[in-house]
Amino acid sequence: MLLEVRNVSRVFGAKTAVDRMSFTLDKPGFLGIIGRSGAGKSTFLRLVNRLTGASGGEIRFRGKNVLALRGAEMRAWQSQCAMIFQQFNLVPRMDVASNVLHGLLNRRSTLATMFSLWSDADIHRALEILDRLGIAEQAAKRAEALSGGQQQRVAIARALMQDPAIILADEPIASLDPMNAQIVMDSLRRIHDEDGRTVIANLHTLDTARRYCDRVIGMRDGRIVFDGRPDQLSAAVAREIYGANEHFSEAATSTSIDVLEPGDAELLPA
Amino acid sequence: MSLPQDEIDHYKRNLPRAFAAPLSLRLRRGTLALGFAALVAWCLYAFGFSPERIWNGLGRLGRVLGFMFPPHIWTDPEDIADIAKGLGETLAMAFLGTLLGALVAFPLSFLGAKNINRFTPLRFGVRRGFDVIRALETLIVALVFIRAFGLGPLAGVLAIAVGEVGVLAKLFAEAIENTAEKPQEGVVAAGGSRPQAIRIGLMPQIWPVLLSITLYNFESNVRTGTILGIVGAGGIGFLLSDRIGAYRWGEAWSIIFLIIILVYVIDWLSARIRARFIGKWEGVR
Repeated sequence: MLLEVRNVSRVFGAKTAVDRMSFTLDKPGFLGIIGRSGAGKSTFLRLVNRLTGASGGEIRFRGKNVLALRGAEMRAWQSQCAMIFQQFNLVPRMDVASNVLHGLLNRRSTLATMFSLWSDADIHRALEILDRLGIAEQAAKRAEALSGGQQQRVAIARALMQDPAIILADEPIASLDPMNAQIVMDSLRRIHDEDGRTVIANLHTLDTARRYCDRVIGMRDGRIVFDGRPDQLSAAVAREIYGANEHFSEAATSTSIDVLEPGDAELLPA
Repeated sequence: MSLPQDEIDHYKRNLPRAFAAPLSLRLRRGTLALGFAALVAWCLYAFGFSPERIWNGLGRLGRVLGFMFPPHIWTDPEDIADIAKGLGETLAMAFLGTLLGALVAFPLSFLGAKNINRFTPLRFGVRRGFDVIRALETLIVALVFIRAFGLGPLAGVLAIAVGEVGVLAKLFAEAIENTAEKPQEGVVAAGGSRPQAIRIGLMPQIWPVLLSITLYNFESNVRTGTILGIVGAGGIGFLLSDRIGAYRWGEAWSIIFLIIILVYVIDWLSARIRARFIGKWEGVR
């Protein structure tokens, strides 16, 4: 068993953000979590990465309960499950290569990382990963000088630098224009297909989920209300996830990516 | 297009506040305005602001200003060396005082920042400490230090350094509190420890602000340093007060001009340094 989520909850004051969530993942996959804002998707990913503590339950990765880890063990787990954020969370004033090298923070001596002392081999690997994502020529620029789509690819490169078993992507395309959204989602899918890494991505819309995921979990008010294959996402399921408002459910099914015309694909890097 | 009177009356009844403030509020405002005017009048009376005195004073001021032109130019090499030494001393006092103050303030500021030091009693204590230091005017500290360390620049440097600790630690702490959380979150999510998150996620955000604050305070301390000289803590201020005391206004004005030029040059220089570090500079590593 790769990942086992058992009865995981997170309570913030009077609000239950994640309510006894349970599911299992027996082999590496591309999992999408969909739902409205506030459904608990982000809180769940932050629980897995340990950015937030759980109020109860277990998350087992290869049998080990990651919610029980402390100190250095917890940081080692964090470096194994890379996180990608909606706002990229790069260090804006540092160069792209440094930002990618931050994926190694847990694996190199604290002193060396404090003074940005990286070996040539590490720098070479960072450049290779950037090259794979098509942005190697930006390596010496400041992160803040890049476009949103490029910054998100730097964040993916940092995640790959961690050589993670799982990549958690929290609304990775919510701040991006349609073309960049497609580049980022294609990159994530390719990483799953080529490296066999598990990707769990929070997505706003049904359509992105249908297009990229092997399995989709629908959340509403902190609970799982759907868990199945993307082709099982019917209109009735959409209403269940997004609420009774027909109009809203329909709007949620169309994604920003749909806005691309067929011819636009030629503009994308191969 | 005028409204019928009964409609206006209707609104006046239902929304009286939209037409005029209530009587109690208008009375309170009136009383406050009267009280303020009385206070100003009393101050003018108590300090003897009579048109006659102002007029006579302006006449004498005109004579003093008359010594500005033509500016006095020193020809005796000994005089020139004295003035240059005084200016250099003031500059050096400001430089060393600001640097020492910044070096002490930097670590302290982390203890005073809410997002770093989450232990409220300690943070509160440290913050009040900054306040106490700031409450002591640098000039007063200098007078005390002159007694302790003797006349001369050492007392001035220490006075500036102590004052700067209070000011810079507060401003640095606020710069630290004004940083974005997200870069630090990114570092932690990648397996970084808290020291790494602070060093890598936070510090790059505060460097330019710290640099800018410190450069400005250096410039401000050149001016403060002049005043410290007047009370005997070394530098150009001593020469200035000496010339004024001896009614050598021509020389006094020339010293004042030199101080203005010095401050201007420092301002220009710090603008260049700021631009270099805050602008498009990409040599981050």
